[in-house]
Amino acid sequence: MGKKRKHSETAAVAVPKKDEAAPERPARTLLGWKDKSEVNGDVEHDDSPVFRNKEKVLVTCSRRINYRYRHLMLNVVSLLPHCKKDNKVESKETKGATLNELVELKNCSSCLFFECRKGKDLYLWMGKCPNGPSVKFLVSAVHTMEELKLTGNHLKGSRPILTFSTNFEKDAHWRLLKEMLLQIFETPKDHRKAKPFHDHMFVFSIVDDHIWFRNYQIDVPHNETDKLPRGGFEQMNLVEVGPRFCLNPIKIFGGSFGGPTLYENPFYVSPNQIRALEKRKKSGKFAKKVKAKTRRKMHEMSNPLEPDEFANMWKE
Amino acid sequence: MEGPLVNDDTMIDGEAEDLNEEMSASESESDEDVKLTEPSKTAVYNRDALLDKLGDISWPENVGWIHTLSIDIDQEQEVDVNDDFTRELAFYNQAFEGTKQAYQKLQSMGLAFLRPPDYYAEMVKTDNHMQKVKGRVLAEKRKMEEAEERRKAREAKRLAKEIQVQKTKERAKQKKQDIESVKKWRKQRQQSGFADRGDDADLGFAFEDGKSFERSKGKRPGVSPGDRSGGKGKQAFGKGKTQKKREFRNSKFGFGGRKGMKKQNTADTTYDVKGFKKGEGKGNKKRKR
Repeated sequence: MGKKRKHSETAAVAVPKKDEAAPERPARTLLGWKDKSEVNGDVEHDDSPVFRNKEKVLVTCSRRINYRYRHLMLNVVSLLPHCKKDNKVESKETKGATLNELVELKNCSSCLFFECRKGKDLYLWMGKCPNGPSVKFLVSAVHTMEELKLTGNHLKGSRPILTFSTNFEKDAHWRLLKEMLLQIFETPKDHRKAKPFHDHMFVFSIVDDHIWFRNYQIDVPHNETDKLPRGGFEQMNLVEVGPRFCLNPIKIFGGSFGGPTLYENPFYVSPNQIRALEKRKKSGKFAKKVKAKTRRKMHEMSNPLEPDEFANMWKE
Repeated sequence: MEGPLVNDDTMIDGEAEDLNEEMSASESESDEDVKLTEPSKTAVYNRDALLDKLGDISWPENVGWIHTLSIDIDQEQEVDVNDDFTRELAFYNQAFEGTKQAYQKLQSMGLAFLRPPDYYAEMVKTDNHMQKVKGRVLAEKRKMEEAEERRKAREAKRLAKEIQVQKTKERAKQKKQDIESVKKWRKQRQQSGFADRGDDADLGFAFEDGKSFERSKGKRPGVSPGDRSGGKGKQAFGKGKTQKKREFRNSKFGFGGRKGMKKQNTADTTYDVKGFKKGEGKGNKKRKR
């Protein structure tokens, strides 16, 4: 548990740290790093003095969250060692401002906010914090790690391998989402809580315009830590660890939890509308019945029956 | 910020039918998730701004792979969302491909990436949880095995039954043949005039008795409820039909005939206290035993 530092302190400490790590380190923009000419993709020599992934994710939820979604949030917290879990956020109107403040306070660079509405619908806000874009997703198809059918297990804090399906390159908004997912879900390389081996992997794929997330444990029989035995790939087995969820992007905003709308999902229907439509369908039955009755009456009135010859035959 | 889409009302009136159709074809796992058939007309899509933002936040191009650890896998075919099995299979394949490529890269880099068996550290699921998982897996396996065994036993019983039926048929046929042969023999004897009368009579009887012994063996006496004893006393005497009847009744009810269907509470038996214990009156009933 880190002690809570005052905002001014963190600002002061952050700056000298940056200087130590990289002598000529400007603000964190693309242009700044491109000055370094030593970095040319040579992977053997670590470029850690040059680039340090200092990603820190703040994970919070709203009040009145469902048990299933709370467990999902806790699972996500256990999957990301570079996250900080915070208390429930209670605010109706000024959600964006509150979250931005919180993120500043905790010195985080991005945020995952699980918002549960009506105890039924879960919305996930994902945003890069100082001025980065933010996304709102509708989460569905949630299966947490506690389900007994998901039998895998892996080291807590080991760095995952991420796979994205190539659909992510198809369009601008998918590319932006891919970059955000990459930065948020990938544990920084030399993080304090990161464990050394790579024994699980995340799968993000786009199916039916939704982003599906899966987490698999990599199970391969081996004797040495850095080499696979011959024919190792045939014996490799992936076991699902969980959690599982499916994200439906609703809107992408230019600022952090606010700002201009950059993208709206044209196919998105909010769950409230779906429920309203269902109810309307059901209510339509009675109205139809009434209409049919009046129609029948009109029809009878306009086409009167001829009096029956035999109607009075049995009358006394 | 997260208010409804702008053209709410028009969408509902104009596309209600479409939506109703769509609802039946929604994703299998979430019934809250429905797509509009036509994209809403006023959706914002600011590609340039998106790409700008992308440029802002991305890490530099030449960051080593070891930082991102991300692989792009091609998804060959369109996966049908509602078909759970193929969808999960597609995800699994994507993961498999990704792992292969990643491991090859890691191996070429010479880094340690496989966990040694003696590395004990905190896992993401607790040991208790894994015990439950194991219990469940074992229980499932056991259920399957039991079902298999039961099925096999049923099959075996059916087979055995068939074999038994065949055997009894065989035996019956054999018996008939033997009787026929005896009858034929006797006819022959009759026709040829009954020479050596004494021995033949015994011979003739011997066959019959043998057969009758065998027949009653199948219906063992004393098997049905209400049977008392299982003796074989009354079998050798009596011939022909009466003997058959007697045997049948014996095998079915034991000696003395059917027990259950007699009258029990008649005038005679009401005051018949022979069945009760004699010494009850002598001991004091009030004394606690």
